[in-house]
Amino acid sequence: MHELSYAQALLDEVLKLAEENEAKRVTKIRLRIGELLLINPEQLKFCFKAISSGTIAENAEIEIEFIKPEIVCTECGRRFDEVRGLCDCGGIVAVSGGKEFLLMSVEMEVE
Amino acid sequence: MHRIEVDAEYDVLSLNKRLAKENREFLSKHGVVAINVMGAIGSGKTLLIEKTIDALKNEVKIGAILGDVIAKEDYERVAKHGVKAEPLNTGKECHLDAHLVHHVIEKFGDVDLLFIENVGNLICPVDFDLGENYRVVMVSVTEGDDVIAKHPEIFRLADVIIINKVSLADAVEADVDKMVEDARKLNPKAKIIRMDLKKGIGFEEWLEWLRCALRSRGE
Repeated sequence: MHELSYAQALLDEVLKLAEENEAKRVTKIRLRIGELLLINPEQLKFCFKAISSGTIAENAEIEIEFIKPEIVCTECGRRFDEVRGLCDCGGIVAVSGGKEFLLMSVEMEVE
Repeated sequence: MHRIEVDAEYDVLSLNKRLAKENREFLSKHGVVAINVMGAIGSGKTLLIEKTIDALKNEVKIGAILGDVIAKEDYERVAKHGVKAEPLNTGKECHLDAHLVHHVIEKFGDVDLLFIENVGNLICPVDFDLGENYRVVMVSVTEGDDVIAKHPEIFRLADVIIINKVSLADAVEADVDKMVEDARKLNPKAKIIRMDLKKGIGFEEWLEWLRCALRSRGE
């Protein structure tokens, strides 16, 4: 369950931002996650819920936007939706991106 | 009371990335070639390390970091071969990360070759860079000949893909050619080795790759 380590890193940063802004409560967390990152969004939410219990980020909604990788043949330029290493033309397919995990913004209640 | 939205643009993976970079800089400064040995449970990772130590310990100085939920068993196996070894318990975690490795890496500044055995698992360790120079992913035919096709990400990012226990392929009705083809299609740049460690098949090919990696010092 490696989502737990991701959730912990996320919670640490969210609480740091909340503290800097003297927030009373964190209501929404916006993330951008690469499609190739091996992370299960439901498990991430579950872990976050468990570890944020008792903090001001408890019950915060997590909103995830997924980022597609670029999968392009280096020979013929054909693009693919799924990961592969070889194109039908025999060229090597290059994969870039899709491994991001970004905390974009945090919505919070302040005085 | 009112709501505000605070921009963050924070990379959640930044801590692991920073520590992996520090590990990599340490290794590079001391001329150590580090290999992240990944793969399925029971695929032969620890045995590969043991046999490689026996084969190369008179040529190069070897060290090993053994990661597992409880790492004692693997540590004891490897330490018997007379090299410097460190167990790394992950506790509840299913993978090593750069932080765990960071705790022990300084003990290995005097070796030429450092094996870092990851937790047996084809998913969780993938996205955690440890600062290694190379990734070796080991599976065996007994896990089913679709094991590579089912876990594309770990094989896509591997430098060496080892398919172990090939002598058992007929008994478990596994098609080794299919496994090799699946690996090649996902990762045409990787070195793919058909191996049977207990029978010595493919082992020389592995040593040859390793000597080459050592000569290039991870460059």
